[in-house]
Amino acid sequence: MNKDIEKLLFNPIRLKVISFLMTVETSNFKALIEITESSKGNLSVQLKKLNEAGLINIEKYFQKSYPTTDYSITKKGKDSFEEFYKQLISYK
Amino acid sequence: MTKEEQLNIINDAIKQTKSNLQPLGYNLIFWSIVIISMSLFHYFFPQIVQYSYYSSTIYWVSIPIIGMVYTTYYNIKTGNKVGYETQLDRVIRIIWGVFGLAWIFTVGISLLYKINPVQDILFLLAIVLIMTGLIIKFHNITIGGIGLLIFTVYTYYNPGLNLLLVNVIGISFGMLIPGLSLYLQKTDE
Repeated sequence: MNKDIEKLLFNPIRLKVISFLMTVETSNFKALIEITESSKGNLSVQLKKLNEAGLINIEKYFQKSYPTTDYSITKKGKDSFEEFYKQLISYK
Repeated sequence: MTKEEQLNIINDAIKQTKSNLQPLGYNLIFWSIVIISMSLFHYFFPQIVQYSYYSSTIYWVSIPIIGMVYTTYYNIKTGNKVGYETQLDRVIRIIWGVFGLAWIFTVGISLLYKINPVQDILFLLAIVLIMTGLIIKFHNITIGGIGLLIFTVYTYYNPGLNLLLVNVIGISFGMLIPGLSLYLQKTDE
């Protein structure tokens, strides 16, 4: 497995985000805050890192004049998570 | 972070994902009440609904369209409140969206050929209810859909039946009661 991605998923907030996004189609920022129990600032930083690594998609749009952001996992994110999970299970 | 801790984080994150089926129950109840009320009003006050050539058409098209706008708004609002959409939520949304389009198409065709669309719409509704019940594994909706399907087929062989009362009976047993049971069960969870 790619060492950079393994290192990326070693962070608990990023791992929570990826695990949660594996089970949903899309999620907004508010739901991710509740799931990760982290601060807005910290979560934003972690989401940016996941996005830069190509593991998640960030879609920004306006809903009733309010800016809204949806997050979803990419194909690369799914493959990386599956590989990461297989490795974890094999260590057990 | 140990491997065990990593596995716990993954399991906890997955466990927190729940398909939110309560809005589906609410939608079923809302549409049942709308259609039953409209049918009863039409049955008891035909002189109002059918006061002109197009009034009945306007009555049966405009109110459901207002209902569609309201339920779309409600579903968007509920979706934003929950904050995420599961694959199951998406499948259900698509199925009912397709039903909405099929309803518009059926009503359009019925206006064009001057035929009553009630049986065709009930048939479509029964199929969608059966699909929904099977997908979400909620037997009351599947049974309601099967009951509605049998009832609709029965009406095809009994053309003398009053289609407004057919609507009331079919929707009450096929959609209202299953919708209520889904809504109440998901409220208790």
